[in-house]
Amino acid sequence: MASRSNGRILHGFGLLAVFAVAIFPVYWMVSSSFKTQTDLLASPPVWLFTPTLGNYAEVFADQKVTSAVVNSLIVAVFSTALAVVLGTPAAFALARYDFRGKSDLWFWFISNRFISPIALALPIYILAQGLGLLDTHLVLILVYITFILPIVVWICTDQFRSIPKELEEAARLEGASQFDIFWRIYLPLGLPGIAVSAIFGFIFSWNELLYALVLTRRDVQTAPVVATSFMSGYELPWGKIMATGTVIVLPVTIFALLVSRHMVRGLTMGATK
Amino acid sequence: MSFLRLQGIQKRYGPVSVINGVDIAAEAGEFVVFVGPSGCGKSTLLRMIAGLEEVTSGQVFIDGQDVTGTEPAKRQVSMVFQSYALFPHMSVRDNIAFGLKMSKVPKSEIDRQVAEAARILQMENLLDRRPRQLSGGQRQRVAIGRAIVRHPKLFLFDEPLSNLDAELRSQMRVEIARLHRDLGVTMVYVTHDQVEAMTLADRIVVLRGGKVEQIGSPQTLYDRPVNTFVAGFIGSPKMNFVAATLTGRDARTVTVAHSSLATPVRIALRDDAQTKGPSVGDTVTLGLRPEHLVLGDGPNRMILTADIVESLGGSTLIYGQTKARETMILEAPGRRTLTKGETLSVGFDAAQAYLFDATGQAI
Ligand SMILES: Nc1ncnc2c1ncn2[C@@H]1O[C@H](COP(=O)(O)OP(=O)(O)OP(=O)(O)O)[C@@H](O)[C@H]1O
Ligand SMILES: [Mg+2]
Repeated sequence: MASRSNGRILHGFGLLAVFAVAIFPVYWMVSSSFKTQTDLLASPPVWLFTPTLGNYAEVFADQKVTSAVVNSLIVAVFSTALAVVLGTPAAFALARYDFRGKSDLWFWFISNRFISPIALALPIYILAQGLGLLDTHLVLILVYITFILPIVVWICTDQFRSIPKELEEAARLEGASQFDIFWRIYLPLGLPGIAVSAIFGFIFSWNELLYALVLTRRDVQTAPVVATSFMSGYELPWGKIMATGTVIVLPVTIFALLVSRHMVRGLTMGATK
Repeated sequence: MSFLRLQGIQKRYGPVSVINGVDIAAEAGEFVVFVGPSGCGKSTLLRMIAGLEEVTSGQVFIDGQDVTGTEPAKRQVSMVFQSYALFPHMSVRDNIAFGLKMSKVPKSEIDRQVAEAARILQMENLLDRRPRQLSGGQRQRVAIGRAIVRHPKLFLFDEPLSNLDAELRSQMRVEIARLHRDLGVTMVYVTHDQVEAMTLADRIVVLRGGKVEQIGSPQTLYDRPVNTFVAGFIGSPKMNFVAATLTGRDARTVTVAHSSLATPVRIALRDDAQTKGPSVGDTVTLGLRPEHLVLGDGPNRMILTADIVESLGGSTLIYGQTKARETMILEAPGRRTLTKGETLSVGFDAAQAYLFDATGQAI
């Protein structure tokens, strides 16, 4: 009994430590975004201060930040949505059909991630330039899809494989077409996997910096690009950087919270036995 | 022409042969049960009737049509799976209505059919629940409901009751029998429970190793099993087998002796064994059902050494040993107490004795 409650206390401390390490930078960023420049540069740091919305006023006054958030939203939403639309049927096929070259295709999806992104940056730049796609939403969406698609395919294939085969057979006997089976059975039951891969995809697109820097100029700068652009000059505008950071983190947090509702819950429970 | 006919069915998975030439025919409205030990190919055979599994060679006919290459949905069969295979994200109502929706039946008609199925299966109050909110027996009923709304030509059941506890199983067994009587539809039912087979079937197909051992009514299989496998499979507890010696034969009967038999027993031969069959001096297998053995009397007697006793409440299973150390079980009415090592005199009627040759074929 004693060892069990000791275990619980340890468990609690462990959780607290991990939580503190993970959350502290976020806390620092958010609290700093409400500080004046004087409070920000105070040493030792001030814990109690009079919050100001000045930094936010400045951020939203700056066209660059708001349009960067909009650009990021467009790119992240479309790349994630398209990757899910393309990836889930592929995962369905990989999970349920036997066809020639299936394992090669599977390996190809994995091998996409072997290559360091920077190795491809230049070829893709040249390609985009040739196609006249530089500094467009489309080029970022296309490039991000190539990253997100394998994630969607892996996670969803695994998820679809865990759906009992009898469900598909029962549906087939009832006259369901392949599309019906995919649409009415695999998609709803695969929702946890789809949600996880969508969150991964969205976060990836949202935070991606390298390709966003290389492939965009002025029109389609995304949030991370704009955030880094403040990191120059003589005196760093810390308050504005922190407020921008908070604004950037917000949409992805909201998205993850919304979607994660579908991640838990044993959806297949009650199907068999 | 039979309603359901399997002709020369074979199934191989790569080099592994699972079904080795099966011929079965069933009449319209019949209740056919496939029984056999685990892995003998019952499910595979059923799935080939449904079209979920391709046949390697042979043909499947349903209602006079060759459906060997027809896709499952077009065969007008319904299947109830051992695991129920309910759609977990849909309500009971939507589960039952699924097939009707797929075949674009109008909404009002779907509602009517679902209500009808719910009434037959007494689950009107469960229609809005999800499968995970149901008990095992209720899930099974939903699976059956999903099967009946489409009015299939053929019902297939793959061990539908094996996940249920004993009481519910016998209750559902009665419900399935009633369903068969009320709907009058042909049913093929897979089980390895011989009680289910005996009680439900018009006709039993006994399978072993992907081959049919015997097809016949429950009575035929019980009275005239073609070999020791069928004899041992049908009946509970299992038939007792002892090795005996043929000491004499004439045109219609043989005499067999065994070290535990008080006197040699004269047993009638089957018609087909009267011209061939074993000759004097050969070893044969004598089969005696536990329920045909009577403690203490009978025209033919066997001397056993008592081993253990199992009380079933109303009756008692007595385990004894022959002089050749073969175990025999007999079922005695009422309660008995015996001491281990006690000598038992067990009687039986020669007309209820079974005889098999050295290869296990009935003679
Ligand atoms: N996809 C497959 N590949 C290879 N062998 C298979 C496959 N499916 C089934 N088998 C084999 O076919 C044989 C028959 O299987 P089947 O499921 O029909 O048996 P069963 O009689 O239904 O057994 P049980 O009573 O255990 O359900 C088994 O030996 C099994 O191992
Ligand atoms: Mg089986």
